[in-house]
Amino acid sequence: MRGAVLAIGIGIVTVVLVAIGTIWPIPSAIYFAGSGNGNVLRAPSAPEDAIQNLGIRIRLHQLPAAYNSLANKAEFTESDFDQDVTGFYTSLRTQATLESVDAQPLHQSDDQADMRVRFHWITVLGPYDDTRDIQVVRNGNRWQVDWPLVRRPSVPAQVIPVNYLRWDVIYSGSTDEWGSQNVAGPNVRIVDMRPVNRAEGVYVLGELLNNDVVPAWVDVRATLVGKDGNILGREDSFDMISHRLLPKQVTPFRIHFPNVDLSQVASIRMHPESILISASADPVVEILNQKYNVQPIASLTGQLSDQSGQTVNFAHVLSTFYDSNGNVVWVSDRYIGRALLPQSPVDFTVAVPEDLARKISSERTIVATYSPKGVEL
Amino acid sequence: MKLPLKSYDTNQQLFFAYHYLHDWWNPWNVKWFTGFSQTTYPPLPQQWTAILAHIVGLQYAYMLVQFVAILLLAVGMYRFAAIWVNERAASFASLAVVLLGSESFLIYNAGQLATTWEAALYVLALPYLYEWLRYGGWRPFVKAVVLFAATCSAHDVIIIFGTAFFTFPLIALAIMEREQGEEKTTGGAVVARAVAVAIIAAAAIAIVLLPYWIDLFRYPVTQTPIPHASRANYLLTPFWGTNYFLIPWGALMLALPFIVWRGAHVRRLVPLMLGFWACFLVGLGGTTPVALWLLHRAFYVLTFERVAYWAELLSLPILGLLCSELVARFRMKAVVPLVVLAAITCGLPIAWANYQPTNSINLDVGPVAEWLNRGGHDNYRYFTLGFGNNISRLSIETNANTVDGEWYSDRRLPELMKYGGGSLDNSKYFVPGGLDALRAILHHADRYGLKWVFVHDPWYDPLLHFAGWRQVDQLEYGAIQVWSKEAVPPAHPMVFGVKPPAWQGIMWGILPVGSSILAFLLVFIPDKRRQIGASEDVGATDETIVPERMAS
Repeated sequence: MRGAVLAIGIGIVTVVLVAIGTIWPIPSAIYFAGSGNGNVLRAPSAPEDAIQNLGIRIRLHQLPAAYNSLANKAEFTESDFDQDVTGFYTSLRTQATLESVDAQPLHQSDDQADMRVRFHWITVLGPYDDTRDIQVVRNGNRWQVDWPLVRRPSVPAQVIPVNYLRWDVIYSGSTDEWGSQNVAGPNVRIVDMRPVNRAEGVYVLGELLNNDVVPAWVDVRATLVGKDGNILGREDSFDMISHRLLPKQVTPFRIHFPNVDLSQVASIRMHPESILISASADPVVEILNQKYNVQPIASLTGQLSDQSGQTVNFAHVLSTFYDSNGNVVWVSDRYIGRALLPQSPVDFTVAVPEDLARKISSERTIVATYSPKGVEL
Repeated sequence: MKLPLKSYDTNQQLFFAYHYLHDWWNPWNVKWFTGFSQTTYPPLPQQWTAILAHIVGLQYAYMLVQFVAILLLAVGMYRFAAIWVNERAASFASLAVVLLGSESFLIYNAGQLATTWEAALYVLALPYLYEWLRYGGWRPFVKAVVLFAATCSAHDVIIIFGTAFFTFPLIALAIMEREQGEEKTTGGAVVARAVAVAIIAAAAIAIVLLPYWIDLFRYPVTQTPIPHASRANYLLTPFWGTNYFLIPWGALMLALPFIVWRGAHVRRLVPLMLGFWACFLVGLGGTTPVALWLLHRAFYVLTFERVAYWAELLSLPILGLLCSELVARFRMKAVVPLVVLAAITCGLPIAWANYQPTNSINLDVGPVAEWLNRGGHDNYRYFTLGFGNNISRLSIETNANTVDGEWYSDRRLPELMKYGGGSLDNSKYFVPGGLDALRAILHHADRYGLKWVFVHDPWYDPLLHFAGWRQVDQLEYGAIQVWSKEAVPPAHPMVFGVKPPAWQGIMWGILPVGSSILAFLLVFIPDKRRQIGASEDVGATDETIVPERMAS
């Protein structure tokens, strides 16, 4: 009898513990169950639940299930939904993982709710947010998302002549000589440089000019020297620069030295690097409707328009902000989530630190692009 | 034939063995993480692999060492099971351990050579421990201590985290049966012997693995935990439930009710069943909160497929009993389904490893190694993206050093410790920590003399491009792209942490493998003949004994 009680007791306790672990999962279980912000799938008995469930399914790449959960799925196909979520062409969006979803109610009635939803994506190029206003509707006891589908842009068939400059380089050596080209690097020059002290460390801001008649692959390194002569740090511009510079082109750069205060710095050594590369002026990305906003959030907004006939898969917007004297005040950037299709403008927003917002009187923006292709020798 | 070589950790085990093969006395390995100490990983199976590699080559040596672990486990399980059940049932347990789903999973899927070795040596030690607890005497005491030291030389996890599940039931049994037989003892004596063996075994383990403890004491596990799917809730994530529960347990799941029922009804089996149950709950990872409650921060360091493996080992004596009774009662009608179920249980993880391969990247790293080894390319460091566990294989074949690696416990590079990703190679699977680590290490390429990145997954190309790297070559007909960064200074020796001094290298080269040799020699010293296990009728409870079941 005691054995039976023990065995049954063990069975009951096991079931109870599994139930506890499933109803109130521990953090590691939540991580693998699909949500970065502490949620697992639940009955959609509130608008927020429906939004979170959709987010979890997108995060787990369960797109058929996500599509089937939509209230308005009859209005478009599953393929349309997939392409809207993951991007129409190879882009940051196709490679992104949804980390979390934050939903703010804008308006709610018994049968309908309007939500402002911020999708926080993690990509290989860092995080980015995508905010959409989404309607959630009640269907019996369930709430379902009315997905605001963004359809793939349609461009009329046309021929676009390509007449941009192109530079090819022929190397004389074997394929092993890429490390040392035996060719003098293009002449590049730092035309402006300024250190800025901020809470997160010292930033070295500036602009680099390709002063040559050939294209260059560039980088800028900086070394901070302390007042006692010791090296405080050596960093490079990483992705806060356009590494490919055509002749006479200027790129901003920003180099970050975390955990350093400007008062410690005696001097800064700048090391611009350049090597000769093959390059083309194509594709050209035009910046339209550029506007600097101080309020409500300090930012630069505008649109990117691909003027060529090629798709630009990855685009990086780099903006330089100047004060009234023409000094560089800040350099900021933004990666674009979607591929740029020919003649289909895409909005962009570049954030500016609030404390610098009123010092800015002008700005200049360039776009660095990347589309997968062959080896660039 | 070479299926175990495809399992996930195999290449890492071979990489460690390769180092011992070429530099037995110096545990400092510069090929990963700018340099790390192999004293952070108990060395026994890798050292035996290195020894046998002199005769049969590295890969066959690995297979041979894995095979020896299986044989030792079968012997150990027979002796361990014989403590609890009759010899016939113990024979079935011994047979079952070879066909165990978890064993198959660890060998063919996870490639955890160290785990199978530690388990084999540990269950070999347990009967000596029981004999010492119950009867005293120097022979079982010495054998248990040396086998525990050898166990720890293979891996320390079962000693640190598994001891409670295995030894507490033995202590309880020794106390329960202290009055039985001709040699009686007292509860106090049993406890005193347990304390004595614990102290002496701890001292022996401390000496044998002294460099390991020094390193662990100097650098306790402080890096951000790396997510592992064995910590998932298996119901909320059915894929991981399949991978870590259904596949390793196989048909053994069908016997769970019997194991609990019989374990609860036979008095001397109650401690074993409770040990099994506790281990089973912890082995469920994040499916219940038990593991987190018990282990706290260690929960995020341990992986739980090995705990499930221990639970299966603990269940085997009672499973042996079930098999024994079924065969006795139903003869061939029981044998056939048992054989089929055992075959399915053993085969399922092998099939799963092919259906969901852990090392799905079929890549020849030879051209990459050749590329690195020529023209002074190995003056710089490199890492790979999208190579899977081929990075260990590449590290064996190339002279160049990488900032990456697969042994996370001893990486000291701040960029790798801070964010909680796995290896840089598969950083995209650890969002966001892995990608943060990747960006950080690329940011500090100059610091590490990091000039080459070999990419077998174009997913990473945009980051490399915008971060200032250029494609400079391609290998394997374009399957592998070589990316380079300009103006990176050549790599120079860097030491994060502390290099083990020469005396530690000598200790490391002698004591772990020496402890295993000593253990094997001691085992040949004859034991005093005793009936330490169960009597013939232990299989049945007072309530369930029926004449048919006693027939054999």
